[in-house]
Amino acid sequence: MSNEVIRREEFGDVAVLHILTTSVDTNSAVAIEATATATAMRPITVLDFANVAFINSAGISALLKFVVSSRKAGNKLFAMNVSPHHQKIFKMVEMSRFMPTIEERDLAAYR
Amino acid sequence: MERVLVNIPSNPIFERIVRASADELGQAIGLPPERVEDLKLAVSEAVNNAIDHGNRREAAKLVEVIFALDADKLEVRIRDEGEGADRVDFSRKIVEEQNLDSGMHRGFGMYLISALVDDYEISSSQNGTVMTLRLYRKESAHE
Repeated sequence: MSNEVIRREEFGDVAVLHILTTSVDTNSAVAIEATATATAMRPITVLDFANVAFINSAGISALLKFVVSSRKAGNKLFAMNVSPHHQKIFKMVEMSRFMPTIEERDLAAYR
Repeated sequence: MERVLVNIPSNPIFERIVRASADELGQAIGLPPERVEDLKLAVSEAVNNAIDHGNRREAAKLVEVIFALDADKLEVRIRDEGEGADRVDFSRKIVEEQNLDSGMHRGFGMYLISALVDDYEISSSQNGTVMTLRLYRKESAHE
């Protein structure tokens, strides 16, 4: 059984990081953070939340590592397939300022 | 009043058991789906706080969670076996640009609790801290 928490897909200048764990929390935070390296980023990096059912503050802290890495590399970071509840939480802590939402169809032009 | 009691060791993996209980109970009493999500997140934050800051992850120390249901509300009491807290900060926390590089990314949990439940209280002594969260079944019940 794989313990992979993120599956990477790359095309052109875009990397889509599909989060595979359903729970972005204290238990998965370390593994998620470990993937948030500057070298993992592309000019456009997208975190895909399609499989994510739960995010708490420890998970938000882990996701912020992607914000830091993308900023350091001068890249853009987006989120896609974010549930309405998680959009609300991201707005509450102003995470959405640093990781705006993108629609999957907007990536079609890069494929 | 009906009560459900869940005791967990101070290991974050068991927080998921409390969260699953909150999910089931929230649905069972007819909270709207969005409120169930609010409940799960608030309970998760309170339990993780009890594990990390109350019991300092000492596995022998338990976190006791009591879900109490009555006609108009669900009350969740989260008790740790720590040494108490001088002050708990529920003020609004947001991602701040100047803190990004320093890695100072924590502190959202208490703010999220305060914003997501209908009311909450906290009491602390040298015997531990108890956080009580309440969600009302209908908006009109607490207005």
